[in-house]
Amino acid sequence: MRKFSVWLALVLVALPSMAHALDLRGDSTTILRLEQRDIPGFAKKDVYPATEFFRADLGNLGNDALSFHTAGWGRLDLADRSTGEGDGDGDLSYAYLLYRTPKANGQIKFGRFYVYEGVAAEQLDGVAARVDLPAGFTVSTFLGTPAWLEKTNNSSDALVGGRASYRLPSFLEIGISTLYENNVKTGATPDSTNYRGLFGGDIWFKPCKTFELRGHTHYNYATGGLAEHSYRAAFTPIRSLMIVAEYNQDHFKDLFASSNLKSIFNPDSGDEVQSYGATVTYAINKAVDVSADFKRFNRDSSDPANAGDSNRYGGEVRVALLGNKSRSGLSYHRSEGDSSFNNSYHEIRGYTMYDADRFIASADAIGHFYRENINTRKDDFELIGSMGYKFKPGLVLSGDLSYGQNPRSNDDLRGLLRLAYNFNFNYENKGAKK
Amino acid sequence: MNVPRLFFCCLLLSGVLCITACARLFSTEASLPSWHSQDLPEGRADCTECHKDQLAGALKPSEAFSHSTVFIRNHRFYAEQDDRLCATCHARSFCNDCHANEVEMKPSLKYGNRPDREFMHRGDYLTRHMIDGKTDPASCYRCHGRSNNEQCVACHR
Repeated sequence: MRKFSVWLALVLVALPSMAHALDLRGDSTTILRLEQRDIPGFAKKDVYPATEFFRADLGNLGNDALSFHTAGWGRLDLADRSTGEGDGDGDLSYAYLLYRTPKANGQIKFGRFYVYEGVAAEQLDGVAARVDLPAGFTVSTFLGTPAWLEKTNNSSDALVGGRASYRLPSFLEIGISTLYENNVKTGATPDSTNYRGLFGGDIWFKPCKTFELRGHTHYNYATGGLAEHSYRAAFTPIRSLMIVAEYNQDHFKDLFASSNLKSIFNPDSGDEVQSYGATVTYAINKAVDVSADFKRFNRDSSDPANAGDSNRYGGEVRVALLGNKSRSGLSYHRSEGDSSFNNSYHEIRGYTMYDADRFIASADAIGHFYRENINTRKDDFELIGSMGYKFKPGLVLSGDLSYGQNPRSNDDLRGLLRLAYNFNFNYENKGAKK
Repeated sequence: MNVPRLFFCCLLLSGVLCITACARLFSTEASLPSWHSQDLPEGRADCTECHKDQLAGALKPSEAFSHSTVFIRNHRFYAEQDDRLCATCHARSFCNDCHANEVEMKPSLKYGNRPDREFMHRGDYLTRHMIDGKTDPASCYRCHGRSNNEQCVACHR
């Protein structure tokens, strides 16, 4: 972390001298939450956390191929603590230099960034490169130190990986990817290893205009087992109708092998979950679309308390009127577990919003009705109303008020003030113009 | 050196050799623009309104990226194959609203004024998580298995 801070400081100092014509784009969102927490058995708390979210993208550094990108947040509790930790917290989500080539989609990143390449979904302090080769091939690679992992002694000091893919335009993309991370305790207790290793394959296949298949399989080579299959097949007989079938299979021994939260994600259990289902969406016209979905889960476990089947199904209607200024929706879903396995609930939600030139207003309501009591209650609900005023297109002040009741608290009343500012400046030499 | 490490090293070496060998053989296609040339309105984007054929760079039909309900719920499959196209319209911080090592507040709270957006964990999810988590812990693992689990640790030690 100290090394990263040092190089980041050097980069920030060097940026102005590199820029002869700087494009600066970004946003700032300041949120003040006002909450009174009243949880039975605990003292009442007044919680007023103020949080600043920032993002800045600096382009045209030296030449138009080089840019710098950063984002993060910081919080200060103005009254009682909002979390079980200190009075403040923060995170630098990313801060990296990006070099892009004019051809071949080549790019090199250096700094802290998020990698999403096949099996890898990691936040790194390091370097990554990617480029398209002739004949449809693409290669990418990354190397670095995992940025920061929560509450863990199961993080390493080096992570490396990459992905290679082949594409036939509008027909096929297949990819293989891998990652290796050292000094990570991986696997079930008696057979654990000291590294994390994943290998995966992914596919997108569209043999005809009406059918598309995509998905991936991940293999954990540290444990020697298949971690995950996840596939979607989409059928679009007409433009307004889409039917998507899905199939997923997860093996906890291999999927959870390197978790740093083994009290929840326990690879020792050896459980498996298979799920499959379908979603149908139909656009009645440009303003209204409806969808219905069904998914069945089968959980296998050696522990009878964790073995059972569940279904989740429901539907949704979305309406967009007045040139998309007015958006509304209504949905119902049911999560249904075997009575010997899991609780069940109904979920009902409705919302509406209006986004005018100067004002924005919305109302949102959600409720759940459980089959079995949770802390003496069988239901919960939350109502949120929001109003906002746009001083100009990029500067919006808004406030939310929410009220709810649920099995954990008697009355859940919250307020929130939000000031959002989007900016986009272009600096030419010493002058500045908007 | 054990077999997996040997396998991985061979794979990495072949990748490096491949990149080196192809250093003068990069694609001659123009790169994707750093940013979408037109400002897009709020709400779900429909790429086919302007892009009638396949999207350059992605080499996939434009309708594959129209932001339908299905697309949004399955966006991980699109991003894992090529997130460069996502980055032409979305700042990276857009992803970080949900995907980060530490998320300060749940997205439906941060964007309480945007009920039209598809967010996880709306309403009193703390009560519901024990039901959904028992049904399919793998769906929790993708975001909370190795990071963004500070709040989980408060109870699950």
